[in-house]
Amino acid sequence: MSRMMQLAVLMLIAGLLGACAPIQPEREAGARDELKVDPEVRGFITVTELLEKRVNMPGGGDLLKIQFAVQAYQDTLMEWAVTWFDEQGMVVPGVGEGYRPARVLPSQTRFFTATAPHEKVVSYQLHLREDREP
Amino acid sequence: MNKWVPVILCSTLLAACASPTRYIDPAADDGAVAMTMDYRDFERAADAALQDMLASGAVDNPSGDRYVMAVSRIVNDTMQRIDTDQLVKKIRVGLLRSGKVITTTAIGVDGAEDAMNEKARELRNSDEFDQSGVQKKGTLKAPDLSLSGKIIQRNHKVEDEQQVEYYFQLSLTDLQNGLAIWENETPIIKRGSDKGVAW
Repeated sequence: MSRMMQLAVLMLIAGLLGACAPIQPEREAGARDELKVDPEVRGFITVTELLEKRVNMPGGGDLLKIQFAVQAYQDTLMEWAVTWFDEQGMVVPGVGEGYRPARVLPSQTRFFTATAPHEKVVSYQLHLREDREP
Repeated sequence: MNKWVPVILCSTLLAACASPTRYIDPAADDGAVAMTMDYRDFERAADAALQDMLASGAVDNPSGDRYVMAVSRIVNDTMQRIDTDQLVKKIRVGLLRSGKVITTTAIGVDGAEDAMNEKARELRNSDEFDQSGVQKKGTLKAPDLSLSGKIIQRNHKVEDEQQVEYYFQLSLTDLQNGLAIWENETPIIKRGSDKGVAW
């Protein structure tokens, strides 16, 4: 009986210690989308195509190049940025971190291209958001 | 004594109204656009030039080695006092990270960018230095490519606004034959209040 009591006390202490431990944020690990369009601009524009190809270089390597087309239903000021990733999913830094502004007129389809900063880039994420400059 | 009270009160109120100093994250800067060139303009111009340069294959050495690039003159033909290294450094960093080009600091239009290249070689006959660590003759790498360019500014008055145009023009020359193997122009156009000044 006393052994049962000891076990109960131990479990109580463990439970109390567990309750004091900081709550770890949950990770939402999953497949990374190649295209991310913010809801603020989703109603005005459509990404009609998103193409990628590896461009052969004279030295034997190749670089990832993407092209995307945006069609707007109304005059839209937006910004876009591409983040590049290597095979392990780590970010490969380019020169610029900032977003590029673009204006798409009604019924206009604009084509944009971007080239990876290094041959080790195998994937990317394109992010389109509203123009937030005042 | 009492005459200072309104002055102190006013200055306190004014100080309270001033916007606080804060850090800006370049990756998420939603701040107002200036008519003058700011860091975002240099970043966009350098990023556009670098992507075009890499995509063109001009900096990809068929032998697989990295090209050695020297930085020539980048002319500032704007009304602003800017250091053209704001543009060039970003391109140099991007090229180095790409693994395709390395920049020499041993040669430049107005002499070596890093004078230590020469100074270190002046130690050759000094008894004070262990000569095994002194740079040997013929070890400096001659450049294969040269980067030159110009930043141009043009101002226009458009109705009751002003338009300022900046053109970032760059050329990459193959020093073996003097041919420009890559050229690029990135225009950055701004339109805003006529009251603002662009210099």
